[in-house]
Amino acid sequence: MVDLDYLKLSKPQKMLHDLGQFFARLPGRIGGGLKGLALAVGRCLKGLGLSIADLFTTFKNGDWKTRLSYLVMGSGSMARGQWGRGLLFFLFQTVFNLYMVNFGIGYLSKLNTLGVVETYKEGRKTVYGDNSFLILLYGVLTLFFVAAFIYTWRVNIKQNKISQQLLASGHKLKSTKDDLASLADSQFHKTLLALPTLGVFVFTILPIFFMILVAFTNFDYNHQPPAKLFTWVGLENFRTLLSSGTASYGDTFRQVLFWTLVWAFFATFLNYFLGMLVAIMINKKGIRLKKVWRTILVMTIAIPQFVSLLYVSKMFAADGLINTYLMKWHWISQPIPFWTDPGWARFTIILINIWIGIPYLMLIATGILMNIPADLYESARIDGANAMQMYGKITLPYMLFVTGPYLLTSFTGNINNFNVIFLLSQGKPMGLAGNAGYTDLLITWLYRMTVTDTNYKIAAVIGIMVFVVLAVINLVVYNLIPSVKNEEDFQ
Amino acid sequence: MASLKLEHVKKVYDKNVVAVHDFNLEIKDKEFIVFVGPSGCGKSTTLRMIAGLEDISEGTLTIGNRVVNDVEPKDRDIAMVFQNYALYPHITVYENMAFSLRLRKMDNEEVHRRVCEAAEILGITQYLARKPKALSGGQRQRVAIGRAIVREPQVFLMDEPLSNLDAKLRNQMRAEIILLRKRIDTTFIYVTHDQTEAMTLGDRIVIMKDGYIQQVGTPQEVFETPKNLFVAGFIGSPQMNFLKAKLVKNSDRYAAELYGIRVELDEKRSAKLRAKNAQPGQVILGVRPEHAQLRFDGAANAIEGTLRVNEMMGSELHLHVDLNDDTRVILRIPTLDLTEEQRAGLTYGSKLWFTFPEKVTHLFDPETEESLLF
Amino acid sequence: MADKKIPEVDIIVDEKAGVIKEVEQPKKLRSKKGHERRVNGTIYTVLTIMSIVWLVPFVFLVLQSFRSYKLEKGGMVDYLIPKTFSLDNYAFLFEGSNFFSWCGKAMLLAAAVALAATLLTHFLGRSLDRADASRGKTTLTLGAAMAVCYAALAIAAGAVHGQALGQRLVPALLGLVLFTAAGVIFARIYLKQDDKLLRSLPGYVAEDKHEGAKKVATLAAELWALALLCQCIVAPMQASQYIRWYGNTLTIALFTAVIQTVIVLSVSYALSRLRFRGRKLIMNTVLVLGLFPGFLTMITLYFLLKQMGLTQAGAVPGLILIYCASSGMGYYISKGFFDTIPKSLDESARIDGATRFQVFLKIIMPLAKPIVIYTVLMAFMAPWGDYVFASYVAFGHQEGYNVAVGLYNWVNTNDFQNYFTRFCAGGVLVAVPITALFMALQKYYVEGVTGGAVKG
Repeated sequence: MVDLDYLKLSKPQKMLHDLGQFFARLPGRIGGGLKGLALAVGRCLKGLGLSIADLFTTFKNGDWKTRLSYLVMGSGSMARGQWGRGLLFFLFQTVFNLYMVNFGIGYLSKLNTLGVVETYKEGRKTVYGDNSFLILLYGVLTLFFVAAFIYTWRVNIKQNKISQQLLASGHKLKSTKDDLASLADSQFHKTLLALPTLGVFVFTILPIFFMILVAFTNFDYNHQPPAKLFTWVGLENFRTLLSSGTASYGDTFRQVLFWTLVWAFFATFLNYFLGMLVAIMINKKGIRLKKVWRTILVMTIAIPQFVSLLYVSKMFAADGLINTYLMKWHWISQPIPFWTDPGWARFTIILINIWIGIPYLMLIATGILMNIPADLYESARIDGANAMQMYGKITLPYMLFVTGPYLLTSFTGNINNFNVIFLLSQGKPMGLAGNAGYTDLLITWLYRMTVTDTNYKIAAVIGIMVFVVLAVINLVVYNLIPSVKNEEDFQ
Repeated sequence: MASLKLEHVKKVYDKNVVAVHDFNLEIKDKEFIVFVGPSGCGKSTTLRMIAGLEDISEGTLTIGNRVVNDVEPKDRDIAMVFQNYALYPHITVYENMAFSLRLRKMDNEEVHRRVCEAAEILGITQYLARKPKALSGGQRQRVAIGRAIVREPQVFLMDEPLSNLDAKLRNQMRAEIILLRKRIDTTFIYVTHDQTEAMTLGDRIVIMKDGYIQQVGTPQEVFETPKNLFVAGFIGSPQMNFLKAKLVKNSDRYAAELYGIRVELDEKRSAKLRAKNAQPGQVILGVRPEHAQLRFDGAANAIEGTLRVNEMMGSELHLHVDLNDDTRVILRIPTLDLTEEQRAGLTYGSKLWFTFPEKVTHLFDPETEESLLF
Repeated sequence: MADKKIPEVDIIVDEKAGVIKEVEQPKKLRSKKGHERRVNGTIYTVLTIMSIVWLVPFVFLVLQSFRSYKLEKGGMVDYLIPKTFSLDNYAFLFEGSNFFSWCGKAMLLAAAVALAATLLTHFLGRSLDRADASRGKTTLTLGAAMAVCYAALAIAAGAVHGQALGQRLVPALLGLVLFTAAGVIFARIYLKQDDKLLRSLPGYVAEDKHEGAKKVATLAAELWALALLCQCIVAPMQASQYIRWYGNTLTIALFTAVIQTVIVLSVSYALSRLRFRGRKLIMNTVLVLGLFPGFLTMITLYFLLKQMGLTQAGAVPGLILIYCASSGMGYYISKGFFDTIPKSLDESARIDGATRFQVFLKIIMPLAKPIVIYTVLMAFMAPWGDYVFASYVAFGHQEGYNVAVGLYNWVNTNDFQNYFTRFCAGGVLVAVPITALFMALQKYYVEGVTGGAVKG
């Protein structure tokens, strides 16, 4: 369709056309994505090939210092006078070797079975066998360590090559002092990121990797190391969680997932629009005490949630203040089942979440409303727009555009919003298979699986499912809103 | 104070976007060089490569006798004035100017002496205790320059330093930069998109477009003998008029025929054309607006046109005239050359005629856009 | 028609109404005003109702915290206002503790020290100025003076608490190193700078031309006082359960605030201002990791901590470690802030001769004050509300609880009929200081969240 023809269309027609276009382009996009993926894999393989080829040529063209480095890391650097680097390389290799010999190889070799020697009792003494947990954890750690070693080894050789070239062309090499000085300047990012990266690696990446693997084992209350072994079971747990049947959690999973999405939707969008409304009201010209209103609302952000939410959850309890007063005034004869009836519980949670959530949005919307250029409204007014039209044509699109990324993070955050559910209802009322309650989100269910039921294998699968759900949502939204993607636009 | 040499310098972004192609230039010690060109022509990128803020993808950069490709900016002994001044907002003007000296662990007395001296030169002594926020645009500009001159650098870089100022202040600061240059005699590299600044400031001008150098020369040279259509159009305001013409050769003299008139070219131009072995045919003839002479009576050998817009600039008139094939030309006519009645007659739609002396014409090849007279 | 529309418009745009009004006829103006009043009235009503809803739970909380668990009932009752107002619940929180006398002593000591130190450093600063010493010498001398004084103070503090010299030695040495280092670093950064923070300190000496040394002097004095306070914190106070939880949380929050801020600022600075290989990779990895639910890895973390001996009795350092270890992933908002600082400032500083580290310290950090405060505030507030990890890491070991875990257990145990009002009292004591802090720094919070939301 020619652009001008498109512009002539009415709004519904445009939407229809856009939708058609979206689906028409979808195969191409998916194809493009796959092609991109294939290309990336190809590039990777090619890079790997080149890298290996480079290893050989470097060896062939290398002097004895370079060649020695293939065996003893850092020796080349040290021989060329770069003591600092060389020692670091050498130390790393030594540590790695010691680790592998004393520790790593043993765990690595048992990784395929996760241990076979059972723990048994010999009279009153317990003789411990293999510990599957340790094998899996340290096995994973060792794998990472090996990868790190290979990478470092490669860097070590590359540096030898570069040093050799530099020397050949008459340049001087960097001394250890230069190396150290560069850590405050051209290599400053290494100084800044070293510790945070290590922290993230040990306390986030390694555990996540471990748990992903747990999803493929039978690690649960019946298989608790060190007393019992656990082992690989393939996709068994995924089947348990996703299929319907008496021993499976499929129905529960679907219910919980449904409620999680409903909750996230309401928690995000209800708060968003109500918060915006409140912001508009407070910021209207002629309204006094703006600061006071704002401060009162912000109280719910300031007060730690475990105080406010725990208290409010008690207020809504069967013997809580609300029910007792309503009964005292004879408005009701029976307590309202705020926490015991599934429907009521869900409703109450969403309601209370408004109380917590509006202030955030009010603050954000206030900031954005002030940033909307006033001349947009002036021009709209001169063009004859009324209040509702201005809201619909200027305020809302502007807000949505600017806060698009925020809505996405907020939705993600709400899917993982543990505190509100846990402090208010703990997932109750219970009654679903798999020890799940009607107000459980995936994340609170996961929590209960881990802490109460010690059913780690299913917990791991739930965690992976949460990831999948979030990844899908994020990917779709990323492709739909442009403002999410452009990082450099703000620089 | 140092000379600079750029040899085959190239800047490539993201492996495929080339910002600067094969830049070759030798800058003499104490020379004032101006890089000028439209936005996106690579002039700022080149400057930033000289400063060390961008990596040089290919080629070598020499300052003094040292190749500085891999030298950090702080070790290149250069100073730079940024377009948005880049003053440190949290410290006073004094500390702003002293910042670089303190980083070099210079003696306190010496720092004080240099800052005061620079402030004296720029007339900002009374603002030394203020924060940059409390200064006007012009004052900030002075501080930015002051911060650069306390360094006594080898090379002084300026990246569009005047473009954030209003027109009046810009003219004033331009004059001050000329004065400043007299006082601190060092190598200057100045980037601007404004050809007036380039013409007035530069010892030599480097005109750039799309990452290529178009012409290097003194202001006089680039104005009088532009190397190609782009330079001819870029230098001079209002820009040069380009007219379609036909080159004819008459024994060893050339002439141009256009709009029914014939312009005999002088010997100097003919000689150049002969040297290039120019063939008769289509050419583009360039005439600067100020070289046109107005005729009212349909004089012989004058081009006829219809007046569309008459801009009164005070000392001169800018006449926008449509020729018979709708080509728009601009004529710059000194107001004093016209009588009262003649001026009154210059209304929309009125017919007029103009001529130009043959010694100011420029000829360009329509295909290559290169000058035939260069 | 117009008179109906325009006032509604004002809900969205403020200032423009006036301009239109002037052009309108007087008759219409009146009806406009009436309409305006109606709209405003509605808004006021809505806002008032909202305010009540927002405040009521907190008012109730405070009211119920005054209902004695001894005289009336500590659990749920069918009335709101206590029959007699009593402080029994609060008294319970401090039962078995010498909290008040301990605080009194500590305050007294701190005050005396601050005074003495201020006087001492005042003269020291003056003599330094007179000698026209260089900055390095100034800081060094002050650092040494601080160290000596600190040692004396540590011994004095030990004496007040009636302890043997030997017992005080380790914390005293630790404090000595830490605070001397902190003092020297602070002094170096702020020596030549005009800073409101310094001026706001109680012992600040009026400005004159010897300002630099005097600032350091004052700062040193404040640090001594702080050192002493910390000294008191390590000195054994007989704590009640609640005070221990509170102390745990405070310790966690303070350490987390400092460490997390350093980490977050480092990461966001690196990702915002520096360009290096793997930058995009890091950002994408963080994005992907962020999609995994946080509690997925709980058992692994517990195991890792257990291996380091940081569970149960070691819950406090364990929690600090967990909160800080992955905090680099929360770089988003401060990176957004750094992105708004013009790049040319960095470039200019680098041409002026600064290394990237110096740029970070001397140019960007002073400009990033709002986001530093925001980061500190967020890092400080988060540990107060964390239940999940805190309870898991403490694993039933009451000494290692934080307030959230302790109070949660009070309400959600079978005995909660007796502990509800005590929970209210405990909650009030947590909420009041935190809320006050938040309100005081609200400006920075708003800057942070709006910036974060707008830049995504």
